[in-house]
Amino acid sequence: MSALGDILHLLLTANLWQATLAAAVLLLLPALGGTISERSGVVNIAMEGMMLTGAFFGVAADLAWQNPWLATGVAMLAGALMASIHAFVSIQFRADQIVSGIAINIFAAGLTVFLINRIYGLQDVGHVGQSALLPNINVPGLDQIPFFGKVLFQQNVIVYVALVLLVLTHLVLFRTRLGLRIRAVGEHPQAADTAGINVFAIRYGAVFTSGLLSGLSGAFLAIGISNTFVPNMTDGRGYIALAAMIFGKWTPFGAFVACLIFGLGQAIYDNNSIIHVSPYLLSMLPYLLTLIVLAGLVGRSTPPAADGLPYVPGSE
Amino acid sequence: MSTRPRPPLMPPIVRRLVRGLGMPLGSVLLAFVLGGLIVAATGGNPFSAYAALVCGGFGIGCTQGENPALQISNTIVFVIPLITAGVAVALPFRAGLFNIGAEGQLLAGSIACTAVGIKFSSLPAPILLPMVLISGMVAGALWAGVAGVLKATIGAHEVVTTIMMNYIAQWLLRYLIIGGPLQLAPGTSKSSPIGPGARLATILPNDNSLIILGLPSSVFRVHTGLFIALAAAAVFAFLLWRTSLGYEIRAVGQSQKAARYAGVSVRRTIIVTMLIAGAFSGLAGAIEIAGVDHNLTDKYFSDTTGFDAIAVALLGLGSAVGIVLAAILFGALHAGGAVMQADANISGNLVFVLQALILFSIAANFVGAIRQRIPGLGRPTALPPEMPPAAPLMTEAAAPPAEA
Repeated sequence: MSALGDILHLLLTANLWQATLAAAVLLLLPALGGTISERSGVVNIAMEGMMLTGAFFGVAADLAWQNPWLATGVAMLAGALMASIHAFVSIQFRADQIVSGIAINIFAAGLTVFLINRIYGLQDVGHVGQSALLPNINVPGLDQIPFFGKVLFQQNVIVYVALVLLVLTHLVLFRTRLGLRIRAVGEHPQAADTAGINVFAIRYGAVFTSGLLSGLSGAFLAIGISNTFVPNMTDGRGYIALAAMIFGKWTPFGAFVACLIFGLGQAIYDNNSIIHVSPYLLSMLPYLLTLIVLAGLVGRSTPPAADGLPYVPGSE
Repeated sequence: MSTRPRPPLMPPIVRRLVRGLGMPLGSVLLAFVLGGLIVAATGGNPFSAYAALVCGGFGIGCTQGENPALQISNTIVFVIPLITAGVAVALPFRAGLFNIGAEGQLLAGSIACTAVGIKFSSLPAPILLPMVLISGMVAGALWAGVAGVLKATIGAHEVVTTIMMNYIAQWLLRYLIIGGPLQLAPGTSKSSPIGPGARLATILPNDNSLIILGLPSSVFRVHTGLFIALAAAAVFAFLLWRTSLGYEIRAVGQSQKAARYAGVSVRRTIIVTMLIAGAFSGLAGAIEIAGVDHNLTDKYFSDTTGFDAIAVALLGLGSAVGIVLAAILFGALHAGGAVMQADANISGNLVFVLQALILFSIAANFVGAIRQRIPGLGRPTALPPEMPPAAPLMTEAAAPPAEA
């Protein structure tokens, strides 16, 4: 059969779209976190490191307590602690946020392997048992709908959580007073401060939230999709999430569309047996697509006006 | 009660020296203290860890029979690409551009160097060696040029575009040597070796029978790329301070608006700066292939030289001498990491933790904050004024630089 026919056939299988949604959610969580952080004016390229930290501590906690829910909480907290470092140096000390973000990513990569060595010696981290993994949940009734049942209602629990968080993030950012404040702080902190908004508190909260969401994604990766931690297991996903955030023009649903496109690429990559393109070339696609978006071929993508600018109270 | 001001604690000359070196040295010291606390908190002995690190990096105080000369040779092998790539980050800094794509440019350079070195493997060294090095520089320049052109024409932020180019280079490399046209044989993840004429000579003769400092001279991998790296640092300083292009780069870095009024083409300067920076990164990759590895291997999948270069450029305060000194520090850390792992049973990854702590400390200017509380030192000096922080770029990223 022709390659085109193969692709068409693949695109009609529910399995592919089920995998697409799961892969998209893995990227969506840190992309939402990045969107919230940058909407408040703090550039965040540290999702990779926060995810990796979450993945490690999620596995470590799950191995210790055999409880995926507790482990997920630990993972989120670990991601948020990493985010707090980023918030502390870039909000309090007005550090360059890109340098701080790079430092977080290097810190996470080094610290996780260092801790493996301290805790588990030369051995592997170990594998989490099936019963202690984040479960797949089939929604009774709905999961029997042809095609869509499999795609939408036979998923990991985190997928449902992420979709709720997607809607929630959109509503909070664009329909609530808090969201207005977050966006005001990211566009014009001086004006927001004059209006009585606590710029530092909003920014701390936004960066902290990005850590929680990235940590959650790390838990999904390590104790949902996989069952162990290996060094650098995020393998650039935090950076693809960054790309999705830009691709989606700093909006939650825009980021979700980007994540679905990138997730589809990932799902095709995993089903590569019938498509005769190197998986490595397919892996380039998210980055190439983002470059094309940045090149202005699909409309302009403009960050919030005060993104990356430390706020100095009383400054012009 | 005397109202006389307290005399300063230090004579002026010492104070000036402390101010110049205080920030970088203080940041390194702070990172080592915090790193030591992390080691201690996880049940390790920071003193034996650091002793092994110093032994591995500088060949000093070794207890497990390491050969000091060999350790220094290993450190220099790490230092060579760090200097060259450090320049590739420092130069755009001066133009107010943040090149975090040195890694991708380096990989592009190593790929081009390998491809040319294989294709023309029978050519003699006087022709082939310049060819592979120049092809590496051209490939790196093109890789960075994409970011430069996008920045100059439509204002796409170079941090984001260079991140994307990093990953494109990484996946291209994997494709090329796993199933792609540069793969040596099915099942391998490496390319064939480059021709003998494409290789940089080692500084000591490659001779098993010649014994130098107790070891056969062929084990010392330090190679003549060292001179290219030092030349790159010198070219960087000359370009920046002695040419009109260097003036334009610094002018654009200080204020795009002012530079434009002074008749500098901001767009052209941005593109040229990125092209030159990419050429330096590409050269670093080509030197690694020509001087150390002689073929592409999966070692390059986890290469971090281009990211280490960011720390080198920042810690070196963007000056040529500073870059060389910072590269020596990070080269020693990387070479020492292996010894620390073997001798003190502390993961070599502690080096990355230290590197991150140094970056935090520089970025947040913790040293300045601490110094503010110590009397006699006066007000802290932040980064030198000619080195603009990258943050203000974000506002300019939204609008393409207009030509006057």
